Amino acid sequence: MSLFQIIFTGSKQALSAAEGLVKKAVEEKGRDHKVAFPDTAYSLPVIYAATGKKITNLGELEEVLPIVKSLIVEEEILDKALNAGLATAVSAEIIEAVKYATMETPYSAPCAGFVSDAIIRSLGVPLVTGDIPGVAVVLGECPDAETATKVIKDYQSKGLMTFLVGKVIDQAIEGKIKMGLELRVVPLGYDVTSVIHVVTVAIRAALIFGGIKPGALGDLLKYTKERVPAFVNAFGPLSELVVSAGAGAIALGFPVITDQTVPEVPTLLITQKDYDKFVRTSLEARNIKIKITEIPIPVAFAPAFEGERIRKGD
Amino acid sequence: MEDSRTIETATMKMIEKAKKDNVETAWDRAEKMKPQCGFGETGVCCRICTMGPCRIDLVGDGPKRGVCGADADTIVARNLIRMIAGGAAAHSDHGRDISHTLLMAAEGSDYEVKEPEKLIAVAKVFGVETEGKDIKEIAKETAIKALEDFGRYEGLTLYPYTANEKRKKIWEKNDVWPRSIDREIVQIMHQTHMGVDADYVNLIQQGVRASIGDGWGGSMIATELSDVLFGLPKPIETEANLGVLEKNMVNIVAHGHEPTLSDMIVQASQDNELLERAKAVGAEGINVVGMCCTGNEIVMRHGTRMAGNFLQQEAAIVTGAVDAMIVDVQCIMPSVTQVASCYHTKVISTSPKAKIPGAIHIQFDEKHAYEIAKKIILEGVENFKNRIPEKVHIPEEKSQAIVGFSVESIIKGLDKVVIASAQPTGTVKPLVDCIVSGVLRGAAGVVGCNNHKVQHNYGHVELIKDLIKHDVIVVVTGCTAYACAEAGLMKPEAKELCGPGLKTVCELVGIPPVLHMGSCVDCSRILILLNEVAKYLNLDISDLPAAGAAPEWMSEKAVSIGTYFVTSGVYTVLGVCPPVLGSKNVTKLLTEDVEGIYGGKFAVEPDPHKAAQLMIDHIEAKRKALGI
Ligand code: SF4
Ligand code: SF4
Repeated sequence: MSLFQIIFTGSKQALSAAEGLVKKAVEEKGRDHKVAFPDTAYSLPVIYAATGKKITNLGELEEVLPIVKSLIVEEEILDKALNAGLATAVSAEIIEAVKYATMETPYSAPCAGFVSDAIIRSLGVPLVTGDIPGVAVVLGECPDAETATKVIKDYQSKGLMTFLVGKVIDQAIEGKIKMGLELRVVPLGYDVTSVIHVVTVAIRAALIFGGIKPGALGDLLKYTKERVPAFVNAFGPLSELVVSAGAGAIALGFPVITDQTVPEVPTLLITQKDYDKFVRTSLEARNIKIKITEIPIPVAFAPAFEGERIRKGD
Repeated sequence: MEDSRTIETATMKMIEKAKKDNVETAWDRAEKMKPQCGFGETGVCCRICTMGPCRIDLVGDGPKRGVCGADADTIVARNLIRMIAGGAAAHSDHGRDISHTLLMAAEGSDYEVKEPEKLIAVAKVFGVETEGKDIKEIAKETAIKALEDFGRYEGLTLYPYTANEKRKKIWEKNDVWPRSIDREIVQIMHQTHMGVDADYVNLIQQGVRASIGDGWGGSMIATELSDVLFGLPKPIETEANLGVLEKNMVNIVAHGHEPTLSDMIVQASQDNELLERAKAVGAEGINVVGMCCTGNEIVMRHGTRMAGNFLQQEAAIVTGAVDAMIVDVQCIMPSVTQVASCYHTKVISTSPKAKIPGAIHIQFDEKHAYEIAKKIILEGVENFKNRIPEKVHIPEEKSQAIVGFSVESIIKGLDKVVIASAQPTGTVKPLVDCIVSGVLRGAAGVVGCNNHKVQHNYGHVELIKDLIKHDVIVVVTGCTAYACAEAGLMKPEAKELCGPGLKTVCELVGIPPVLHMGSCVDCSRILILLNEVAKYLNLDISDLPAAGAAPEWMSEKAVSIGTYFVTSGVYTVLGVCPPVLGSKNVTKLLTEDVEGIYGGKFAVEPDPHKAAQLMIDHIEAKRKALGI
């Protein structure tokens, strides 16, 4: 199957999953049932940023579905493929929103799920100053915990903010990686759709710091591409859904680096099978230059450890 | 009626001026020629012996065979391959001259090896040992080997060995591997002599063999060795159209084909002695500009500005501002001297192979190249003061263009998007990736001339605009390149006319969507690029989502080019119908059957929009077949 067809397939899968969940939720809770993410002024950020519409209940959420559908035009041409990727992002947000609307605690430790506005505001300054030189989204499953640990720790030592999605969370735990917002490693969730919670971070950054008007999709994509130094690492076998989510990342200007054989796209979709070079390739692809030279001391030393209090006993 | 002659404003203005100045142009002569002969147009007129001329009546109950008994199939096939012979001969003689110039560079002359690395690469193709040898020694042996390829008496020509394995097998199997470049041309002349070959398939096969000797022989040698001698083209900025002529400078138009002359003209135009002389006659300096393919040669390597393409050669003189038009060989309208006689322009012919009544002939001699080049330029400088002020009108039109895309510079440019820690540099991988992923749908080569039968530049520009809109990256050579440069398709802003994929690629790599790859002989660069991509993917050229077109072709060289593209596996759309319709069999062979043999075929479509659609459909079909 051609790359674009894989993307379209994934987008359609995401859409039908979203349709199913919304339908079920409406049946169970009714159209007036409240929909919201916690601690945000931006409603469902992806939908809000793209359309300017704030979604408040399941009925309004249902109305978004045809918009998603209209984004999937199966013509084999780049912008249609990227739009399909964005459609997957919206579907993912819808699915996650239904989770928050219908479940008591959709996420529990170690997973963070939705990231609050307050946290994004706290990330703003270090992102601008380059204190956080980049945002890594690591998703899927590495061949082993050791590889996962090595990659994540490498990002951590370089001061990057790393979000984890999928089995790699367990691998990070197995590798005894210290996680938490201050440590700049944040596990989001096990479902692929939870990747949307980092997408909304980028999107809210554009709304908060970039002054992008909700609904101005073109400006938004330009801002994320130029100003949010994020990239995606996709490990392990890639489903159509993941590939199409990857197209969404590319639409936002975030390159995808994978250990799988895929039809590569220069600077945007890159295969790297050598795990020792994975981090270097990712930084190179996103053109991230690390400000602080790594100091050769035995413990990883980087701003990511600033939040860690060193007790006398250590 | 005049409005329909060109889409290009500067040329249109000059057509009007010509009318006022009582000057006849190709368009006027074409008008007088109408209606053109239907027998010749369909290829069924034969003048090969003096029992003729014979003609075949296609519709009525007139003769179906010539006096000798030749039928329409034979006559059409003979005429067609004689066109190939003409084209292949022109290119190959050009290649031979360049090879000879390399030999002279090795033996000591005004020329030198500018690209030793490329010379070593070419030497390898010819099996010349390079280890531990002086560069002059390598140049000498390579030049001799190259010259041998024109007339070797045993074995096969060597350059086609650079083709991918599948292609070579196809040529071997069909027995069309050229034995020597000249021999195949001579054999065409023999085979088409009265009373020799009457089998149209056999005749076309020989045409194919000679055309491969051109594309993968004469032309390729011309290009490769020109790079060795004059430098590898690299991206460079320039301007195109008649507006590059300067009011206050000595305007020298270099027109023709061989860079041996034009490159020297560019060098010599910087000579202090000449510059001082120019000042003395009241000019601010010397403005050398290019026309047709020799213009392409110097723009690719020096950024020399591009005055215009084939149908603009008379228009350039009509500006009244050309002090000298220096010509060598090929595509020089004999009318230039007639047009020049209405102004002060001096036409200077330089080749013993091409003299024009009314021109000043200063024979170019590679042995004293620099001195002669100076002498020729001096003619123009001295002529500056003879300008007739009331007859001078330089149209202001000119456009920015980035040119200089040799295969080597394309690959180097692609390295910009390579992620060094994950991907190799120095390969066509990024281009291949763009195509395989679907970001680019494919690639097209658009080449060829101008022809009064097509509105000037309309065929080129409209076709190419459709292709880039559909995310097909376009490479061009010859007079197509001028059309594109003049229409602004070679500047970075042209990305706005592209589909989203090609636009992204233009931004990432920093290129315009239409890449100027050089002159007519540089069509061989397109073969090399296609071949590199095919090799990288372990496929044949015919498997690639690629297509070719010659929307406004006119010359026999174009017939040879089209034939070697098709028989290298490229689907090729012609905007002007070749004289073959008189034979249903030959027409079917060229537009259908040939695909089963070589993987490429011809199509004829005068409407550039429909032609683009044919190419796009072909590209999409090839993608489907590859599952990409
Ligand atoms: S070769 Fe035959 S067809 Fe041609 S002119 Fe002579 S007699 Fe006529
Ligand atoms: S493209 Fe055609 S007209 Fe132009 S220089 Fe080449 S052969 Fe001549």
